Amino acid sequence: MMKNNRHMEKKKVQNTIFTVLAFAFFIFSMLQLDIVPERLMRSFERLTYIFGNMFPPKLNEPIDVFGAAIESIQVAILGTIIGILVSFFLAVFAAKNLTPFKPLSFAIKSFAGFVRAVPALIWALLFIVAVGLGPTPGVLALAINSIGMLVKVYAEALEEIDMGVVEALESAGASKVQVILQGVIPSMLSAFIAWSLFRLDVNIRYSAILGVVGAGGIGWELVKAAQMSRYDEALMVTIVIFLMVMSAEVISEFMKKRANAATAQALK
Amino acid sequence: MKAASIQTDREGHKPPTKDLYSEYRKRKKILFKSQATVFGVITLLALWSLWGTGFNPLSIVTGTYDMFVFMFTDLFPPDFSAIGSLIGPALDTLYMSYVGMVISVLFSLVLGVLAADFLTPHPIIAAISKGITAFLRSVPAVVWAIILVAGIGLGPLTGTIAIGLSGIGILGKAYAEVLNSMDRDQIEGVRATGASWLQVMGQAVWPQFKAGFVSWSLYKLDMNIREAAILGLVGAGGLGYYLQSSISLFQYKTAAMAILMIFALILLVEFVTAKLRERIL
Repeated sequence: MMKNNRHMEKKKVQNTIFTVLAFAFFIFSMLQLDIVPERLMRSFERLTYIFGNMFPPKLNEPIDVFGAAIESIQVAILGTIIGILVSFFLAVFAAKNLTPFKPLSFAIKSFAGFVRAVPALIWALLFIVAVGLGPTPGVLALAINSIGMLVKVYAEALEEIDMGVVEALESAGASKVQVILQGVIPSMLSAFIAWSLFRLDVNIRYSAILGVVGAGGIGWELVKAAQMSRYDEALMVTIVIFLMVMSAEVISEFMKKRANAATAQALK
Repeated sequence: MKAASIQTDREGHKPPTKDLYSEYRKRKKILFKSQATVFGVITLLALWSLWGTGFNPLSIVTGTYDMFVFMFTDLFPPDFSAIGSLIGPALDTLYMSYVGMVISVLFSLVLGVLAADFLTPHPIIAAISKGITAFLRSVPAVVWAIILVAGIGLGPLTGTIAIGLSGIGILGKAYAEVLNSMDRDQIEGVRATGASWLQVMGQAVWPQFKAGFVSWSLYKLDMNIREAAILGLVGAGGLGYYLQSSISLFQYKTAAMAILMIFALILLVEFVTAKLRERIL
């Protein structure tokens, strides 16, 4: 009891120290960034002026903006499909229980870890230098960024499957491809669908901003409107982006439910 | 399924086996049909996107090749002498994400309490609070940064506000969910003793809320480092700004160093937050 009490006491002191340190670091950071009250006041005045100019939101060239939004969605779809295909192929070699060669699994996983840690927008920037402007670098950037994440989660899903199924198929004389098609894929299907849909959702978010660096889509329209100080147009583009992201979220949620219901029905 | 039907045949129970087999075939047909629909839709979507973006599937191969060439001729080796000039922007990125996190924590606490079922003063206020967080969540931080850069100019202040705004969207929802999943009996118990609102919050709500609060806030700090690193690309200060300018000046080796720096910063913050989470909880 005493010991427990002392432990609690210690934890309390420790947490107080953490709180004080966190606050001190907050003030220190504000000073380092030169965020002082008078500057905030000045920015606040500017912001009220801009927000005043934002309403009502309007579009000067509506066709351009909606076309750009559709291009963004298409970039996201292509990036996701390529990402899924490549990731699944790599994940089979990265999963510890299926890989033919252990160091290969390690190599693929570290590659995925590296690719994942570099943000999608930076990949887009690099691909623009490597292959030129337009939607192509956007698709490739999203694909490679998806690979970073999907290889990891697919490999984890593959490592969790019941190896009994695989062994049974192997002893029945099934080939490697047959084992994967008949034994492995059905076992991880629901994780596969859930993660793939999640990634599509994430990619649509990213595709909306890829245009900022010149990789096609609606982001460029936003930059254009903001640079020419047409705030009402910028707000409209923001609303279109919001609707795009929101509907992607709703649709992927709906699809996930449908997929789960279909699996349940097939297993009934 | 087939093996089973043969066995029962021998035993002379024909009707049920026939039912089972036809049932099996029916299910197989349904499964095949839904699989065909899914593949058909995906193929159509892919073709539509290929047509719309003019993406050449071959560029998967050529693009990867170009990327490798670019990496090994232009990016490598990174210019390590640039480290000195990169430390300032790296610290800026760190400060931006921290201040952004604190701002979003403060606002999200208010919005979260207003959105939680049993703490909200009125259901309409809860709905409004949820609407605000949903909107902030669905608009990426970079979009806020572009609008703010046009408004209050280049620099870290812009990035900080952008990060703070988009953080409110995520943390506001997370806090509300944590609050909603609490054990209500404890709160009722404390309330029944005649405790004031502040005492209820301190004695019943906070102890249950603490774990979720700490881990979500630290998670947001992790995310912020990534966002802060790229916000610079649109001029909102930090490492991204440096990266953007060195790429437009064709100084790819310096750019490679900046990318390595971002990489290191992300890993460092992830390590520190993991340690903190362990210590606090």
